[in-house]
Amino acid sequence: MSGWTAQGKAAQAASAAELRYRMSYPLAPSRGVRVVALDSGAESVVRKVAASSTWNKVRFYAAETILNSHGIHSAPVEVVLHGLDGAAESLNDELEDVDSTIMVATSDFGSEAAATIGAACSVRGIMTAGLVHGEDTEHTVSALRPYAQVLLVPADDGDLEAILTAMRA
Amino acid sequence: MLRQEINELLTKTGPGTEMGDLFRQYWIPTLLSEELPENDCPQVRVKILSERLIAFRDSQGRYGLVDEFCAHRGVSLWFGRNEDNGLRCAYHGWKYDVTGQCVEVPSEASNSRFCANVKLKSYPLVKVGDVLWTFMGDPAKAPPLPEYEFAHVPASQTFTSKRLQESNWLQALEGGIDSSHVSFLHSSGLQSDPLFMGAEGNKYNLGDYKPYFEVVDAPGGLFIGARRNAEEDSYYWRITPWLMPSFTMVPPRGDHPMHGHFWVPIDDENCWVYTFDYQPVRDLTQAERQAMKDGYGVHSENIPGTYLPVRNKSNDYLMDRAAQKRGETFSGVAGIAIQDASLQESMGPIVDRTKERLATTDAGIIKARAKLRKAALALRDEGKTPEGVDPAHHRVRSASVVLPRNESFIESVSDKLKVQPGVRQASV
Repeated sequence: MSGWTAQGKAAQAASAAELRYRMSYPLAPSRGVRVVALDSGAESVVRKVAASSTWNKVRFYAAETILNSHGIHSAPVEVVLHGLDGAAESLNDELEDVDSTIMVATSDFGSEAAATIGAACSVRGIMTAGLVHGEDTEHTVSALRPYAQVLLVPADDGDLEAILTAMRA
Repeated sequence: MLRQEINELLTKTGPGTEMGDLFRQYWIPTLLSEELPENDCPQVRVKILSERLIAFRDSQGRYGLVDEFCAHRGVSLWFGRNEDNGLRCAYHGWKYDVTGQCVEVPSEASNSRFCANVKLKSYPLVKVGDVLWTFMGDPAKAPPLPEYEFAHVPASQTFTSKRLQESNWLQALEGGIDSSHVSFLHSSGLQSDPLFMGAEGNKYNLGDYKPYFEVVDAPGGLFIGARRNAEEDSYYWRITPWLMPSFTMVPPRGDHPMHGHFWVPIDDENCWVYTFDYQPVRDLTQAERQAMKDGYGVHSENIPGTYLPVRNKSNDYLMDRAAQKRGETFSGVAGIAIQDASLQESMGPIVDRTKERLATTDAGIIKARAKLRKAALALRDEGKTPEGVDPAHHRVRSASVVLPRNESFIESVSDKLKVQPGVRQASV
């Protein structure tokens, strides 16, 4: 019986009876989660979820992409985040003390914004996820893939709320 | 985290529960066919979805799955006699056929019709491959029989085993769709297990501890793609299919067999794990088959004559700290299946998901829970048939592939995720 750890038996907690002794205390919510709608279709998804619950540490935005001075579609571009009340916020400021950023898209319209947000998260060690809504997802997925560590394809209406809840956001 | 009421909805599978009703829409593994090896062999007690049943094979080879207890005085028919096309209670000799119909009450007059009015609850029991399957829902709505590839290739190409897991089915299933733990918990197995070692993909698996995930909704369930760095211009993808409610396949390695699991609730605190290995286009070698019987790969070494793992909760899974220190195992527990079981059982019989904290990389688990809940509620409220009932959904494969960095698995290898008779699996 090599290695049988009789001394550890007292600490086993795998029975229903022993489970009663597992310590119970409130877990801290997530440090912070940012949800960014990359296009107008995504904004309606995000608005619905924002209104569905009282969230702890989630902020919801719609991204506005400001092309570079030549008006050419190539990164880097500037992204301004608009809170759901319309107030403009700086991307850099809004990524302070954040664990995860979730980008929501229904088209590849926001691919430049995704690139900029993804790069900003990468240098800060912030996890990124992408939720791709809609039926024709191929182009949207291609646009988000390089910048999201997790992609849900296609996402449905309940996925964003389920993820935020699971993360204690 | 998950709200307590949702955790209860997803984990309770007894009669009348939402998830129990969902499971009762599917053909589910009930026994290995080796458990009823010949006509009139000993009957077997079965507990499944919190119902106590007895399975037997009559004199004509017909399988029966009926209420365990005699209608007369509630005696267990496990003590009965399986003879002459029926199961006879040992107490007063009442006899039942494979449909549960009472066919003899010896104490009644020989011309009495008393027994015609006595019938035990019964379910169909059908052999497909090495497994006996049952359907516990409305008989009028029984779908066609299952078409999972492992159960349809020739017997020489497939092997199925079974083990008890002392935990709720859902936390066991969730381990099956969580690809990122492989690089830690099973890291030593990739280098030493005869059914895993030597595959080209193993080095990519062990070389990248931060996989990217794509969770793709598909008819019947999900495909969960885990992407790791391969070469400078390529990624290594491991693609895990999950079919509702509790079928998963593990992405294959090299020329090793394909494999996967069914997690079948016994009750709310225990489940059977049915584990299969198969080769789509060739026979299993003798060495492969022996390794599976010995508990390598995703199988377990069981106590002879039982389906109880040798390494189990009662003996701390034969924890070997010295082997852990030598680097032979990551957790100190030997065997891939029991490495998983030990951790999942340690969560408690039903893990309290109100206390967990998931991350974005757990999106596959989050999505699977959401699909199960949605399907259970749609069945309850609208009578909607859930995904995965249609046998067309069963014809999936797992895959492991190396792709150029600009390609996605779902666009590049969708044909390889479908069963193609006579075509080898996609495996690196």
